[in-house]
Amino acid sequence: MIKIAVYGKGGIGKSTVTANLSAAFARLGKKVIQIGCDPKADSTINLLSGGTVMPVMNYLREFDREPERIEEIAKKGFGHVLCIETGGPTPGLGCAGRGIVTTFNLLEDLKLFETYKPDAVLYDVLGDVVCGGFAAPIREGYASEVLIVTSGEKMALYAAGNINSAIHNFADRGYAKARGIVLNRRNVENEEEKVRAFAALAGLPVIADIPRSDDILRYEEMGKTVVEGDPSLPVSRRFFALAKTLLEEGENDE
Amino acid sequence: MIHTARILPTYAADTSGVCSALYELGGMTVIHDASGCNSTYTTHDEPRWYDRESMVYISALTEAEAVMGDDDKLIDDIANAAAELSPRFIAVCGAPIPMMVGTDFQAIAAAVEAKTGVPAFGLHTNGMRSYLAGASEALETVAKRFCRRDAARSKELSANIVGATPLDFSVNGSVESIRRWLVDSGFRVISCMAMGSGLDEISLAGGAHVNLVVSYSGLAAAKALRERFGTPYVAGVPVGAGFARTLAAALASAAENGENAAPCARRRNGARGGLAVVGESVFAGSLARAVEAETGRPVRVLCPLETEDALTAEGDAAIPDEDDAAREFAAAAGVIADPLYRPVCPDGVPFYGLPHQAFSGRCYQKSVPNLINRNLRLWKTI
Repeated sequence: MIKIAVYGKGGIGKSTVTANLSAAFARLGKKVIQIGCDPKADSTINLLSGGTVMPVMNYLREFDREPERIEEIAKKGFGHVLCIETGGPTPGLGCAGRGIVTTFNLLEDLKLFETYKPDAVLYDVLGDVVCGGFAAPIREGYASEVLIVTSGEKMALYAAGNINSAIHNFADRGYAKARGIVLNRRNVENEEEKVRAFAALAGLPVIADIPRSDDILRYEEMGKTVVEGDPSLPVSRRFFALAKTLLEEGENDE
Repeated sequence: MIHTARILPTYAADTSGVCSALYELGGMTVIHDASGCNSTYTTHDEPRWYDRESMVYISALTEAEAVMGDDDKLIDDIANAAAELSPRFIAVCGAPIPMMVGTDFQAIAAAVEAKTGVPAFGLHTNGMRSYLAGASEALETVAKRFCRRDAARSKELSANIVGATPLDFSVNGSVESIRRWLVDSGFRVISCMAMGSGLDEISLAGGAHVNLVVSYSGLAAAKALRERFGTPYVAGVPVGAGFARTLAAALASAAENGENAAPCARRRNGARGGLAVVGESVFAGSLARAVEAETGRPVRVLCPLETEDALTAEGDAAIPDEDDAAREFAAAAGVIADPLYRPVCPDGVPFYGLPHQAFSGRCYQKSVPNLINRNLRLWKTI
């Protein structure tokens, strides 16, 4: 089983990358779980034909009890990807980070991995490792590798640097390791040079280079990932290439 | 109302369960909290506190440390204390504040172990679950980490007692009575988790032919021992002379055939409208069987705590909230429960007080009876 957490600056395209990666794994015949770890709860929307799954926090708020079955808080989307969203507390109240820890404890109690037996688990995490809760996906037993999504924009690279530092700070805790950078292009000037310079400084490979593509937006308008919409497109093939790289490494590790 | 108690107190918290289970094993237990958890534990939940030393500490977590997530201070403080005290192991567990900020105790324990060389483990407490959850995880961890794989199976018939803490058995001689009863029943007692045995004795637990699970706290440890050594377990407390004989026979059978058993749950179906016993499922189930053996009356268990299906009989009911307790009491022909339950029992329903340390703390500590392997003389009361 490969377990990957996707981090990056808010709005950089983490959910797009994660959902397309899930769809690519699914098209490659793999059993996939995607867990959105953002209070906005919109990570899996393009795997669910634009629909939604009840976020775990919403369930707790609405029913004032914990769910007893995975099906109450999960929905199968494209390629049978099992979609789960942590959601968050009422905006402006409570603690979103704690909500992620609560959700993970709950998924453990429900024996999600033991019963569903996925080949790949993807965690799509809010912008930055702002507190203990948002580090939960990279704790031992959850993700083993982190993909950092960035463009060549200054603030995106700044956030990527912070995320990489946070991962380094946890080196003695047995947490997930940074696997590499996913360059999600915004077509800024000298974008590739900037990102490669950052990656070299951070000691990380650029593991994927996703071009700016109107096809992604077009299919998202239809509630789909581009991998679902047209797997033959060049941009879709980039996601397949990333998925295959991660799978091959996962198999070698086993 | 769900999760609301107007009259009843709560059971001892998971942190107290951890401390209680590890108290006699020579380790250092650190509760990561501002304070409060430790005074509740020492004042109400731990009858051994003033008679026997143990390394139970509080981290004195401050607001700034919680906000900043300053785990390094905790790790350094534990390492410094361990250098002075030389504990056999270090257990780190949390209360509500660390739970809210998502403290990772497994990671902290790994850092402590790397720094001190002392075996360390983190536990998933949050101060809001019952003592059973904490004691259960603590004993399971002890079984997994300290029971030697090379322990040879003893030649004579032998057993471990698993899941004994003063929270369920007080310090009134009940655990010693269970030991004597085991010996009288033909078993050598290898260890008791975790009253009256040190870590060295417990490390040899794998040599036993059978494990006697005396509370839900011991079930996870017994399952871990089953997995590691193939040892079967039998759940029950030898309450009352009649049930003690049944339990001894069940132990002998399990030692012979290797099958797990839960005699505490093999009862006639108690029904609403009959006699009810309230409490921890293994003890309450055993008492129900003892009452059944002496009076012929079926008895149901009303369980306010964590348990699992294998430890319950048909007709038993969970009473997680005060309203559940009040509703079930009103339908009963009589209730056996801790005296602090009395106010939710209707006047017309006979109530028989049986103090439980984990519920009423030291309030009735001196009057907790030792019911092990003796005729309960229920005709006098029930």
